[in-house]
Amino acid sequence: MNGNRIILLAVLTAAVLSGADLRINAANTGGFWVFTDTALQYKEHFEDKLKLNAAYGDLTLRSVFFVWFPSLPASLVESLTYVDYTVAYRKAPVNFQYGRFYATFGRGMCLNQYLDEDFRVDNSLSGVKAEVELYKSKLTMLMGKPRNIFFEENKYKIKNDMADQIGGVNLDIGLIPKTALGGRYVRINTRNDLEPGAFTELYGGNLGTSLGPFELYGEYARQMGCYPIYGGRLSGSGMLFTGGFSIPRLGIMGQYMDFDSLGFPYGTTYRYNEPPNPIKAGIGVTRGVDEKGFGGTITFTPFDQLSCEASHNRLFTHDGSGGVYETVGKLIGHPNEKMEILAQTEYIIRDSIEAIFIGNQNVFYKKQELKPMLDLTYDLGPLYVEAGYEMGLYNVIAFVKGTYTDYDVSLAVGKTEFMVLTLKYGWRDRTPEWLVEKITREKSWPLAELSWDISNRHNLRILAGAMRGGVICTGGVCRFEVPFKGIRLTMTSLF
Amino acid sequence: MKKALILMLFVVVFAAAGEEAIPAPDFNLQDIDGNPVILDSLLAKGPVFMSFWALWCKMCIKELDAIKPFFHEFDSLGVNLLAISQDKERAVPQVKPFAKSHNWKYVVVLDPENIMRELYNVQAMPTSFIIGQDKKIVFTHQGYKPGDEEKIIAKMRELFEKGEK
Repeated sequence: MNGNRIILLAVLTAAVLSGADLRINAANTGGFWVFTDTALQYKEHFEDKLKLNAAYGDLTLRSVFFVWFPSLPASLVESLTYVDYTVAYRKAPVNFQYGRFYATFGRGMCLNQYLDEDFRVDNSLSGVKAEVELYKSKLTMLMGKPRNIFFEENKYKIKNDMADQIGGVNLDIGLIPKTALGGRYVRINTRNDLEPGAFTELYGGNLGTSLGPFELYGEYARQMGCYPIYGGRLSGSGMLFTGGFSIPRLGIMGQYMDFDSLGFPYGTTYRYNEPPNPIKAGIGVTRGVDEKGFGGTITFTPFDQLSCEASHNRLFTHDGSGGVYETVGKLIGHPNEKMEILAQTEYIIRDSIEAIFIGNQNVFYKKQELKPMLDLTYDLGPLYVEAGYEMGLYNVIAFVKGTYTDYDVSLAVGKTEFMVLTLKYGWRDRTPEWLVEKITREKSWPLAELSWDISNRHNLRILAGAMRGGVICTGGVCRFEVPFKGIRLTMTSLF
Repeated sequence: MKKALILMLFVVVFAAAGEEAIPAPDFNLQDIDGNPVILDSLLAKGPVFMSFWALWCKMCIKELDAIKPFFHEFDSLGVNLLAISQDKERAVPQVKPFAKSHNWKYVVVLDPENIMRELYNVQAMPTSFIIGQDKKIVFTHQGYKPGDEEKIIAKMRELFEKGEK
């Protein structure tokens, strides 16, 4: 039994034996899929994540038991199982954590190791984190080894080198009313460092203020390090400004950012820092290495029956050779208490973001997409009905041009507090031959999903049919999801 | 097949798990105006309703919009109504303009590191909780379907009829 398991067992035993004030809660998500891959071979996927929290006085133990088994036996080596735990002691003004934890400094320009369970991103650190909160200020110190788990093409993968080591300190000062002042330093050692002194450091600061309905925030960060493998001095910097104006029924937000060689580690597909991204669809360009962008969103609710949102955002490389341009308009209307109408249009241009292999070369292309959608929900009392119609008009331009249109109709019938049955049918008018590698030859995607609330704390979802797949983006990280055809069972429980 | 059996076992075991009230974990966070939001301070005023939401979560916003008309009724009874934003740091600047533009009167709490989500073991968005003044979670609800707000409202009214306040 290794040291970590002894600690885990000791804390659990102490907590259980200590009796009266022990508070335990847990949650479980389990899933089983049977599906066909692109070669039409049947595959299986089983995953389960059990989270168990036990608290006794100021001491908390958080543990996660995760198993993922892909199809057996050929892929057995790819399975992923782990037991994570965190022992936390919190008594004002101190918060101390040992084990696995997450940390974001500022807006993530120096360090952003976070958990996003909704998109299956789990970027954590294993080590020690200590926080002290005094005089409306917070000092955080940490040291740990990162583990970045990513889910793509129906597989869980650890993307980073888990031998890397991160240490950092962050200070947020709130002494001055309505003003936020912060500073931070992060040091990262990797196996690729050519010599012990060749570590990478990131440092920066922020200043924010709130004046009546106005909010302003600015952050600057700098990276000093070495190019991996080849060596040579690498330096980079980044800045971010956001401004907000909020009054009842009206909200305006604007942002500007400029990142030059700030994304770390350089030359990899994962990041330990993650500079912000203005694109709502989550599409990144170089993820902090060579990016400049701006954006603005206005949300307005003139009266309770109508709310509107308009947004325009851009993110591009400094020389303009690639970028993403996004415009979104949304209207939500409630003609009466029972009905909701949602009308939305997205127009997105991805210029030289995606590439396809044509004629022995990787060709970057420009993709324009216009996606209008309409969604109607009507509450019939014990039942409700939701009907949706969505189109995606795609225009893809490389040295040849390809256009195609996707359509989706959906109908959901639900019984409040009990069950929802959703039927969805998607189809495509044509598949340009040179884009087959990206969008497949499939022409139709029928799907049925049943969501059953067994009780307030237990939900079972059964999904059967086909899903289109494609690029799914979150936080500047995009992953290509292969089309899915099969059955998924997912059970979530709180207990 | 073996895996399917394991899953079925999980289904049976967890479905059988009880619905009795469990203690609510402590929290100490900030709202969008920088004010501290501490569970013990809130419970001194009255029970707590809180819903976990995010800007990208359509059903979460529907739920909070659906409960909005009942805000004044429960606020006047001393219930604390919280909307816990699970948006990451990069989306934090959008939270306040969005909440204000929707004319939400809830205490909108920022939780970019998802500390609350971990503490309360939230598995799906939205998930809502009602915490009684005895610091016990008396109601949990995952997901939202139109009409679900009636169950939440009924539970809060029931709390007062039972003299929880």
